[in-house]
Amino acid sequence: MTIPKGWVSIEVKELEDLPCLRFAEKPERTSSWRLLKEKVVDAGICSHCGTCTICPVDLIILEDRPLDFDPKKGCMGCGVCVAVCPRYKYVPLNGVGDYIEALAGKSKRFVGQDGAMVSEFMASALEMGVIDVALFVARDEFFRPFVVHVRSPEELLDRKITGTKYSFASVMPELHRIIKRGDRIGFIGTPCMISGLRKVQEKIPLYKKNVPLAVALFCTENFYWHQLYDFLKERGADLREAEKTDITKGNFIVTFRDGSEFTIPVKEMEEIVPEGCHVCQDFSGVESDVSIGSVGSDPGFSTVLVRTSVAKKVLDFMMKKEYIETGKAKMKIVQRLCDFKIKIHPYSPEEEKGEESEKEGSKE
Amino acid sequence: MVKVVKSPKKGLVRSAIGHFRAITEVAKVVVNPGTITVHYPRERRKYPENFRGMIMFEKEDCISCFRCAHICPANAIQMYPDDEGRYYPGIDYAKCIFCHFCVDSCPTAALKQSKIHDVAYKDVDSMSVTPEEMDNVPEIVREDAVTVEYDFDRDIRLVKRKEVENLLVEVDKPERPEFKAVPQYGENCIGCRLCMFSCPVNAIRSKLEETKVILETDYDRCTGCGICVRICPTEVLILTPVEREGDHQ
Repeated sequence: MTIPKGWVSIEVKELEDLPCLRFAEKPERTSSWRLLKEKVVDAGICSHCGTCTICPVDLIILEDRPLDFDPKKGCMGCGVCVAVCPRYKYVPLNGVGDYIEALAGKSKRFVGQDGAMVSEFMASALEMGVIDVALFVARDEFFRPFVVHVRSPEELLDRKITGTKYSFASVMPELHRIIKRGDRIGFIGTPCMISGLRKVQEKIPLYKKNVPLAVALFCTENFYWHQLYDFLKERGADLREAEKTDITKGNFIVTFRDGSEFTIPVKEMEEIVPEGCHVCQDFSGVESDVSIGSVGSDPGFSTVLVRTSVAKKVLDFMMKKEYIETGKAKMKIVQRLCDFKIKIHPYSPEEEKGEESEKEGSKE
Repeated sequence: MVKVVKSPKKGLVRSAIGHFRAITEVAKVVVNPGTITVHYPRERRKYPENFRGMIMFEKEDCISCFRCAHICPANAIQMYPDDEGRYYPGIDYAKCIFCHFCVDSCPTAALKQSKIHDVAYKDVDSMSVTPEEMDNVPEIVREDAVTVEYDFDRDIRLVKRKEVENLLVEVDKPERPEFKAVPQYGENCIGCRLCMFSCPVNAIRSKLEETKVILETDYDRCTGCGICVRICPTEVLILTPVEREGDHQ
């Protein structure tokens, strides 16, 4: 047995635009946490993806409010939060991105937001053995999102797990928590979470090994749960009674248990769109293995953009087992939405804020 | 119907035989007393080596692995920090149920059993013993000069020996595979240095080289306690058994 003498941590050379201290016995003004605070959180471009919760001393925790942390509580200045932050030295990704195959799909087994293709994709991956566990977001009686581990396709029959919540969920902290277990994890997230995941994977090979499948959801913006809840309550829609939320054709639609609907234009929701979403141009999750969303397909179908060979294998498996009905995806509409998101969310390092927002966009 | 129970008929001969038997029994005991009562504290039973008495502690052997504190079902063990940043167990005998799980779980036999069980405490506070006090053998008043042992050969019999038993037990240090925390996946390291801070024997050192943190393990010091392996957030360190001395390095 050969025992290596020393081991070397990830390089943080790219952080060196401030005279930053790589490690400190106690946090100082020059420690690397400051980069995250100044360049990301205070600059208002934090996407609330939660990648920085990798923090080894659990100083950064993800809550239902803008990111905030106190380095005096034990920060060691390791700089890993900055090293993995997708919004540090932010270069916006945009467009549809490369894909191998584009189609519209509808699951025969599950009921979801539209075609329930995310559930179907993960269920098939679990069946194939590509992944051991998938991180899904379920909701409680207040429509509050929380993360659940799904280990068998049957668990996805629960309607509380499938369907969109339109609020930030702590998927990333959960991923960091279970990454050492050795299970292969299927990851579902908004494009910003996928960017975070890819950055972690690039820095830390452990994540590359343990997260073989990452599914992106089409996304124009996401909300804090308490803001969304209060906002809708003020306008007379109680999320406690809701069964489904949806964004279609520029309207936020809440469907209640008794069948009635509440509709509000997304334009009017501008006040509760988080700051970080104003600079995001990635509609389709360019870096993911597969992107799924309702845009660009008929009602009841979901658009699926397969980008990597892993996802292609899962898709072939689904086709072979005839779990899905397929249709044709209208890539023009997806392309239009991508362009639209670039238009409404302009970003340049000099800092510009997008004024208006919205249009149709939906995430499953 | 009530059943009437009559006393058995006693003849003169029968009662005479009964009395005679009783008198012989008394005479036997007068000549050769066969009591099986132990006259504690003048006599003391001979206890087996694995008697679960008060728990002894040797600070030198302790690797601060926390196993005793984690396993204690009565939550009687508290880990006290010392000046060097290491932690040592202290037992609260008010809570201790003497299950000796801690002794069994101790990988280095720093905690070991003894045959002392009759310690008196003046108040509840003094029952919680700090690691410093655990080094000392608890004080007891000994009046015993005789060790008593039960003999189960045919009848229960007492065997008395004129000897004073040593209540402390010598335990062989367990032979166990030697482990070292080896950085198997150095590429995963994020440079948080939690391993360095957590290492109880200061086997891990770090230095800064430009923007990289370089950590180094001193394998001569590493005791293989596994604290760093557990605390590492990205699975850099793996506890690896060392096959033979001289095999490594």
